[in-house]
Amino acid sequence: MSKIISIHSFRGGTGKSNTTANLAVSLAQTGLRVCVVDTDIQSPGIHVMFQLNPNDIDFSLNDFLWGKCEIEQTVQEVFTEDSKGKVFLIPSSMRTGDIARVLKFGYDIQLLREGLMNIISSLKIDVLLIDTHPGLNEETLMSIALSDVLLIILRPDSQDYQGTAVTVEVARQIEVPRMYLLMNKVPDIFDKAETIEKAQAAFNCSVIGILPHSDEMMTLASDGIFVRKYPDHPITREIGIVAQKILE
Amino acid sequence: MKLSKFHLPKGLRTLILIITAALVYGFLNAHSNQMLLPSAPFIALRPQVALPFFLGFVFGPWVGFLTGFLGNMIGDVSCGYGCWHFWNWHIANGVYGLIPGFAHYLGLKEIRTLRSFVMMEAIVVTTNVIAIGVAVLADLFWLRTMQFPESLNSWILPALITNIVLSFVLVPLLLVFVKFIVITVETRITLVLSWLIVSIVAISATAVTWTVWNDLASQADSIQAFYSAGIVTVLVVIAGFLISVFLAHHITDPLVSLGQAARQIEEGEYRLPVLDTLDKRSDEFGQLSTMMRRMASQVEARETRLKNQVTELKIEIDRTKQDEDVRGIVESDYFKTLRQKARGFRTMSRINKEEEINDATSKDDESSSI
Repeated sequence: MSKIISIHSFRGGTGKSNTTANLAVSLAQTGLRVCVVDTDIQSPGIHVMFQLNPNDIDFSLNDFLWGKCEIEQTVQEVFTEDSKGKVFLIPSSMRTGDIARVLKFGYDIQLLREGLMNIISSLKIDVLLIDTHPGLNEETLMSIALSDVLLIILRPDSQDYQGTAVTVEVARQIEVPRMYLLMNKVPDIFDKAETIEKAQAAFNCSVIGILPHSDEMMTLASDGIFVRKYPDHPITREIGIVAQKILE
Repeated sequence: MKLSKFHLPKGLRTLILIITAALVYGFLNAHSNQMLLPSAPFIALRPQVALPFFLGFVFGPWVGFLTGFLGNMIGDVSCGYGCWHFWNWHIANGVYGLIPGFAHYLGLKEIRTLRSFVMMEAIVVTTNVIAIGVAVLADLFWLRTMQFPESLNSWILPALITNIVLSFVLVPLLLVFVKFIVITVETRITLVLSWLIVSIVAISATAVTWTVWNDLASQADSIQAFYSAGIVTVLVVIAGFLISVFLAHHITDPLVSLGQAARQIEEGEYRLPVLDTLDKRSDEFGQLSTMMRRMASQVEARETRLKNQVTELKIEIDRTKQDEDVRGIVESDYFKTLRQKARGFRTMSRINKEEEINDATSKDDESSSI
């Protein structure tokens, strides 16, 4: 049974794209076929994580949404773990004209849904990850509306809290079946159990994991997939656990 | 150790070492008979006795044993006693190197604590007694060259006493020289104190015997005098050594405790039970211990304060603003339509899933019916 998971954060810089890419690879490493959809049409970025050259992208999600191509033409295979596990990517356009056009006209949820459903059946996708745009604009709400699970990423930062609280409430109103919080870039000084407890109480939402602040992660930045470069790192293990829990 | 500078196979190097050491030991044995105790012609001073002990400690049982054994044989041959005549003394000299060698073999590769220093000196004294014991027993049962108990009194026990004192003093000196004894506060204090005591005792004993000896008429009297002086010397040396060990322990023990306390602080343990006895001392160590305790409690307080400040993860949410923002979104027409659509999608996918399951079960039914 395939699952659609939206990954969202209210503000930028929470490590959303990074986490999405790592989660995708972590899932693929367990033998699943994963597709990442970059709906962050206003500021796309996840292709960098998979070291995809913008010139190699013939068709993007934008092209599909404007009826220029079939959804299958936008898919790129970006990671393979033996014969079974794979990560596919549907990138967003990086052309500024395209971006402006989306901002002006938006796109239709029905079309987006059909595209995603087609991809799931034609590529036999087990998990579809949607990398959303920060904030709560219409496109983001659309992604959340289409999802089985919403994963909200936040940092232990007072500015993230307010927006996250709003997101959780809005997502609840849109009746997303399951919702988790993932705290990222958490300094070691915080007690893990206490942090989870406090966040769950404040947001009235289950915390799926705590990713510590890591110098290695910072150094690697967006130059590759962390879980591949540091297979034995505690963060890699934590992401593995998140990947497991999110499919339950 | 030093021989490792030569690039020869290990076996060959050891062989060269043994031969050289045995030659040196033999040569010194042959010529030390002239070095007699002041006015006591029956006892030779043999400082080279320290050599097999030393080599045993540093290079192990084979080098130690063969140096003593072969060296004594070479000495006997060059003095004209023949190669095998006093074989029991070859063995006794071999034992000088053998037992320290076993200590090396069993793990005594370095001396840096009081404990290992005391152990080394205890091995030296015991080895002396065992070695002479072996020689005497061999003579009693096989060789029968001595007259008992006259020989025992006239030269065996005196030789044992001088050998004990000499090896006791010289072996540590040699071991310091090759850094087998590592100079730590513990070993330094023990060395200084024991040397001080030993040298005072040795000088005064020599002075006393020197004065008394010239007035003694018979050999029996001088042996008697030697015994008094010699036994006193041995006892005082050993007692002095034990006292210096005690003193060194008294000085270095607080250092060890302070070190442990520092490690505990490093590990975030601030109660410091290791300093309990140290606190009671009125000397500088006691003060240091009190200061350390105070420092630890300060560090702990600061750490707790910092921890409370930072780890008190405060998640503050303005609920009024949250409600406003949520209402702003969910009350829009767009949102209402979207929610409606989302409901539709979910119902659809639920139906799809049910169909899938139904398909799967009906397929199962078909396959089972076939």
